Amino acid sequence: MQLMVDYPKPWLLFGVATVISLGYMGYAFILKWRAWNRGAEETRRAEGGRGRATWIWLAEVLLQRQLFVLSPGRWLMHILIFYGFAGLLFLSLLASVLRPLALLGLDRGLSSFFFQGEGHLFIKLWGDAFGLALLAGLVAALFRRLFFRSVQLDNSQADVILLVSLLWLALTGFALEALRVALVPVWQARYSFFAQLFVSPGAYTYNQLQPWLTALWSLHAFSVLGLMLYLPHSKLMHSLLAPVVIAMNALGEQDREDIYWPDVKKHRPTGSPGA
Amino acid sequence: MARREEAQADRIAGRLTRRQLIELEACTRCGECQVWCPVFLQDKRECISARGKLSLLQRLVNDGLPDTELQDFLQGLYECSACGQCHVVCPVRINTHELWEQTRESLVSAGIPRPETQTKQLLTIKRANNAFDKPQQDRGLWAKKAWEAGLLKAPVPLWREQPSSVLYFAGCTASFDPEMQSVAVQTARLLQEAGVEFSILGDEEPCCAGKLRRMGDLEFKAEAEKRISLFAEKGIKEIVVSCAGCFKGLHSDYAALWPGAKKVRHLTQFIDRLIQDGKLRLKHAVPLTVTYHDPCHLGRHNQIYDPPRRILQAIPGLKLVEMPRHRAFSSCCGMGGGLKLVNPGIQHSMAGVRIREAESVGATAVVTPCQTCYMGLQYGVEETASSMQVYHLNEMLIRSVCPEVSCGEISARFQHLQTT
Repeated sequence: MQLMVDYPKPWLLFGVATVISLGYMGYAFILKWRAWNRGAEETRRAEGGRGRATWIWLAEVLLQRQLFVLSPGRWLMHILIFYGFAGLLFLSLLASVLRPLALLGLDRGLSSFFFQGEGHLFIKLWGDAFGLALLAGLVAALFRRLFFRSVQLDNSQADVILLVSLLWLALTGFALEALRVALVPVWQARYSFFAQLFVSPGAYTYNQLQPWLTALWSLHAFSVLGLMLYLPHSKLMHSLLAPVVIAMNALGEQDREDIYWPDVKKHRPTGSPGA
Repeated sequence: MARREEAQADRIAGRLTRRQLIELEACTRCGECQVWCPVFLQDKRECISARGKLSLLQRLVNDGLPDTELQDFLQGLYECSACGQCHVVCPVRINTHELWEQTRESLVSAGIPRPETQTKQLLTIKRANNAFDKPQQDRGLWAKKAWEAGLLKAPVPLWREQPSSVLYFAGCTASFDPEMQSVAVQTARLLQEAGVEFSILGDEEPCCAGKLRRMGDLEFKAEAEKRISLFAEKGIKEIVVSCAGCFKGLHSDYAALWPGAKKVRHLTQFIDRLIQDGKLRLKHAVPLTVTYHDPCHLGRHNQIYDPPRRILQAIPGLKLVEMPRHRAFSSCCGMGGGLKLVNPGIQHSMAGVRIREAESVGATAVVTPCQTCYMGLQYGVEETASSMQVYHLNEMLIRSVCPEVSCGEISARFQHLQTT
């Protein structure tokens, strides 16, 4: 049984745009790499303690420990955005990798499992969960910035552009999912547990919705490429660089006898004076 | 960007490390640094906070800055006590205070001058080997005077005459500042009471050159290497310092250049060990309710939080209460990083905030093991017209071990010596 709702997509145009976006991103990162390489070597190199530095990295990056202790509310908001975004990115990458592999006959049947088979329901379930997490985190972030603004938030243009862009991606993604749910039977729609709340499963025919599906897919997909172009110039760079810096500092700190050395438990932050 | 600006940006970037350049872009702009920053509390401009400085510095090393923004950046950079609070609370753990010091050095190397007051002090330090512009031969006089005044159990030997296992490095302030010489005298007496064999360098003792690093002097490394050679030449293995600034200099700043830096100990670590080993006995009660002010150079920069607290808790009759901001979150008194030289008003207000905080917990005195913080907090007392007492940790110890060497007694006997 074919579980995936298939409709025409401008693959050629999207493929060209993807190559251009990736090329631009690559170019921007090469420029950044060159700019960082103007810097000097570290004078002190950390030796040993890599195991403990790894634990610190896992706690700070994957669990975002520091943020949790400073403000559990902000932690929840950030962790929802972080894992929502990372999860959706993973699912998108899965599809992006499997498609060309399937064309080359190297996917070992994975693409038919994930696109046509039961794996598709798994993707929809997790896609909805990650999307919902992202949306909840973004809405909370917007509320925090607009209505419960704490003293340290400066709401710069870059903050607003990024939040609105991510929200736009989340909303177009859900709208697309809602259209798809409107075509499938109830048992399938249940896997999109959040999107199904907004539409009646199977209420429309393929012919009725196909142009909308194509248009909305294009809007969503090209918006993703737009974000990729913007990423090197946005504050989203922190999502790539913060883990790098935390890793570098976690290694270096032991030599500097800094924050987490020698005793991490004694240097826990207290609640933030901000909000 | 014009070619000249590009070259300047490259020169600035070239003196920062790769990690530091990446850190500029890793900032999440969450503003956590801002809500904790004790300077921002006094001057609420974005350029004062770490977030503002990181953003401006990122633009400076990449695209250059228009003159007005460059001036803002310089103000933020130099009106900073480099206390490191922003580093502790940063979710990305950007190593800010190290970055500010390195940036100061980078800017000077790129031809962007530092504030005149800082330049003047650095020149004095390099010329006179101390920040007080006093003759070097007077450096060890405190020990001679203290012996003559009957404040010591025995004369303090000079290293060149009698090397020993421990060098007591008094530092410029305790050596030259008449108000603070009590710190050196009391340290020597405490070490004698505990039976520690130690010597001092006397007129051979150099300035630790830590201030050169704090203010980004280009000659810091060369100056530090001179001191390291001196220690090696003298066969010095272990150094005890009573000054938090000297400890930061010799222990932390020299670490990249000298393995011996690990053998530099702060007096609080040393005394704590002596008390635990039963070598220093705290006999007399000191009936005071005190709060402890963590100096940035000992606390946040070197993780020395427990030894001074253990010492205070070991003093009979003394009650220690903590301020809301303590240990890694201790609010800076504003004396570090050359801030006092650039904007004394802000330092006074920062210290005032700290004094108010001490009052809020019912303490009658603030105790600190740093003579610079001690002086800074005194400005805070004046600023707030508070009745709060400020004591150096040595004074608390001395009152419990040998009250006859209290600050008041030292001052009276030194005065008497001078008149006779």
